[in-house]
Amino acid sequence: MPRRSWRWSLLLLALVILFGLPFAALFGLALDAEREVWSHLWQTVLPGYVINSLQLTLLVGVGTLVLGVGSGWVMAMYDFPGRPWFEWSLLLPLAYPGYIVAMVYAELLDYAGPVQSTLRGWFGWRTPRDYWFPEIASIEGAAVVLTLVLYPYVYLLSRTAFQQQAGVLLEASRMLGFNRRRSFWNVGLPLARPAIIVGVSLVLMETLADFGTVKILAVQTFTTGIYHTWFGTSNPAGAAQLALSLLGFVVLLVAVERHSRKLQQSQSRNIIARPYPRKRPEPLKQGLALLACGGPLFLGFLLPSALLIGWTWQAWASMRLGEFGEDVLHSLTLSAGAAVLAIVLGVFLNYGIRLNPRPILRWVLRLVSLGYAIPGPVIALGVLIPFAWMDRTWLNPLLLRWEWELTYLLSGTVLILLFAYLVRFLSLAFGTIEAGLSHVTSGMDEASRMLGRNQWQTLREIHVPLLRRSVFTAGLLVFVDVMKELPATLMLRPFNFGTLATRAFSYAAEERLQQASLWCLTIVLFGLVPLILTHFKMQPTRRDLQESSSHRLMPIAQTSQTGT
Amino acid sequence: MIRSDSLRKAYHTLEAVRNVSFEVQDHEFIAILGPSGCGKSTLLRLIAGLEQPDSGTLQLHGKDISSPRHFLAPEHRRFGMVFQDFALFPHMSVAANVAYGVNGSRSEKQARVRELLELVGLPHLAEKMPHAISGGEQQRIAVARALAPRPQLILMDEPFSNLDYQLRVQLRRDIRRILKQEGVAAILVTHDQTEAITFSDRVFLMQSGTLVQTGNPEEVYRFPRTLWAAGFVGEANFLPVQKAGDQLETALGATPRISTGTPKTLMVRPEEIRLEPPDSAGVVGVVQDVEFSGPVKVLEVELPGEVLLSVHASPQSQWSVGDSLSVIAERTVMYDSEGRLLEAS
Repeated sequence: MPRRSWRWSLLLLALVILFGLPFAALFGLALDAEREVWSHLWQTVLPGYVINSLQLTLLVGVGTLVLGVGSGWVMAMYDFPGRPWFEWSLLLPLAYPGYIVAMVYAELLDYAGPVQSTLRGWFGWRTPRDYWFPEIASIEGAAVVLTLVLYPYVYLLSRTAFQQQAGVLLEASRMLGFNRRRSFWNVGLPLARPAIIVGVSLVLMETLADFGTVKILAVQTFTTGIYHTWFGTSNPAGAAQLALSLLGFVVLLVAVERHSRKLQQSQSRNIIARPYPRKRPEPLKQGLALLACGGPLFLGFLLPSALLIGWTWQAWASMRLGEFGEDVLHSLTLSAGAAVLAIVLGVFLNYGIRLNPRPILRWVLRLVSLGYAIPGPVIALGVLIPFAWMDRTWLNPLLLRWEWELTYLLSGTVLILLFAYLVRFLSLAFGTIEAGLSHVTSGMDEASRMLGRNQWQTLREIHVPLLRRSVFTAGLLVFVDVMKELPATLMLRPFNFGTLATRAFSYAAEERLQQASLWCLTIVLFGLVPLILTHFKMQPTRRDLQESSSHRLMPIAQTSQTGT
Repeated sequence: MIRSDSLRKAYHTLEAVRNVSFEVQDHEFIAILGPSGCGKSTLLRLIAGLEQPDSGTLQLHGKDISSPRHFLAPEHRRFGMVFQDFALFPHMSVAANVAYGVNGSRSEKQARVRELLELVGLPHLAEKMPHAISGGEQQRIAVARALAPRPQLILMDEPFSNLDYQLRVQLRRDIRRILKQEGVAAILVTHDQTEAITFSDRVFLMQSGTLVQTGNPEEVYRFPRTLWAAGFVGEANFLPVQKAGDQLETALGATPRISTGTPKTLMVRPEEIRLEPPDSAGVVGVVQDVEFSGPVKVLEVELPGEVLLSVHASPQSQWSVGDSLSVIAERTVMYDSEGRLLEAS
């Protein structure tokens, strides 16, 4: 029997309390507020937020379903010129945070933008009343933008499901007299349904969590509502209540996602993973396949990239390069800091749970690991409340007594940012390392202990070398996600402290997107790193798909982990 | 019924199936036997229409169904297939799986499902889900599903390899009986020679993409066309042959010279060797090892010239290590230097 060490439990418990603090604070604040705040919210803004958010998630859900499942099926079943290249490049839009694509299309398509100006020039229109043009700053516009950057989740999960789980079963269906198209509806789609639902729920979580895209396209949703209620009307209690309502939707999605993942695992047992032979259809259909894959790639990656490069080129002379260098430094420091902390904590927590498998700890950890699904503004609010309180009531008087110049040591510095990133992204690191750790059998642990090593030595000598690769992947994913993160950074950053994301956003808010293009390009370049590393490794195997726990970026984590 | 003419299929540079020609009659049971990687599954998939040949043709009742130009999709061939992992649809009940390929009204489907589940002896499992039944039951359901659309040919890809030994023997008998009863032709792919021999009317022996030998199981076992075939189908002793004037000299003694070719190797099956007390006719050998394996005792006998011979003796025989005895080959087969069959005695 392994001895259950109380020190481990104590450390774990301390961490769990620390990470549970933001949620406790949110609940406390929301429940503490007077009843009028609730009814006031209901009578004014809340219905609008609910309707807009639901409409947006519905549209994005349908959009990613069509683009993702469509391209996934085409890639799994058909052969056409450029197919191997698409397999990977269809993931490229993931490198874009939604707000950058939104900025680009807002610049391109709004009234003063090049497209409408050109059309006006050609047809001699003078005012907006002379013609109709789709409004990009609308729910539909935001839905298109989010669909373009989020469909790769659905694409990757459904393609893998079609290719690997259904291979033999599709053959069985064809041997029983059904052609490819009917086999898709009868067998392929029902079997891939759990995987598709996982993909779509990830997309919907991202959509609910999105702040930048909807802010730029002037759509009022929960996240912008929280921001506005907090900063615009200085009503933290109202903001906390909005945050809790949003949390309700998120928890629902997480439940759906976890359930589907289980279903997917139970169904795919006993089936030999063999890819289905691809067919090269007639030229016309090859063209359609090319369009189904090339279209989203062009709109979601190639066109925005080309425009950003062009604008950077044009505006180069007036770029503030000094400011750019400072922002890059800030972004790198924050991302690297958060990544290192997430790795350390991720390894530590995994190991603690493994040695000390107490159900209660596991359960609490699972609750805390919801962080990945929780929108940035909610986390920002949840973190700021306790930190500011500690500063005010406890740390500031202490600092004053010591006659330090600094005040608000916790809530006014990058410390609070790092903590907020950890609350949001720790689960990403935790899950990636967990998947890697599942390759290290408990027999290895026991052998190491039998050979006279204690827990710490076992961690250092056995696990760390074996886990190196998933630890690297975990760090990389956190690094890139922090680099792209916008709302929490915007709300919690120290005064006059800019990062790549916040600067790009404030340029866009001032409608000076061309100035922001260099910042945007840099974020996208960093976002490409994990995708490029993935490209040089094999496709995910079925086992990897089953072992992975639920994560926002798990599709990528899976691909980059193969072979550990 | 099915006729293949110079069928060829390559994956990149690997030729999985090369120049394979054969014919299968109505109601005939064929076993394609070969080691893993010999191309036997590819051949089956070519027949099924799950792969298209690079060259050669496949005809069904005289009409082309596979050629590089013309290709009939698998769903239009109406062949049944039983997959190695059974490939039951995990989201459908047993009854729905069996009914999947049946055309017709609801009641026709139900009747056919009932009939087939009775045939495979599992009518009580109709409403179960595939993951809730045992491997042997899944196997029978897979056969029932393949038979449901009344195919004229059933294809089976290593259908018994996922089952344990006892179940395998039992199911092989049952399924053979069921298929004979339904009057279909069957092609079974296997790497297990016992399975091939007991199941089929004819064995297609396959090596590196080509058919080495086709014939009824006894023919293939008794007169293997190549040395490789002799070693793959059953156990075999191979002894070098030397010319000595008018005679051929081997460790088992001299035999008369044969008319055709230049013999290089003599093959003798372990069960076709008789052991006698030392002073009888034949060559003298010494027992090196005795292994009791149930139905036989496997003896290792050393002949003059340090040649080791494996012999299957009766389980009641009382030979022990160190005994001298007389070895008499009852039947031998000669091969030339390229391993081709010359003559059997």
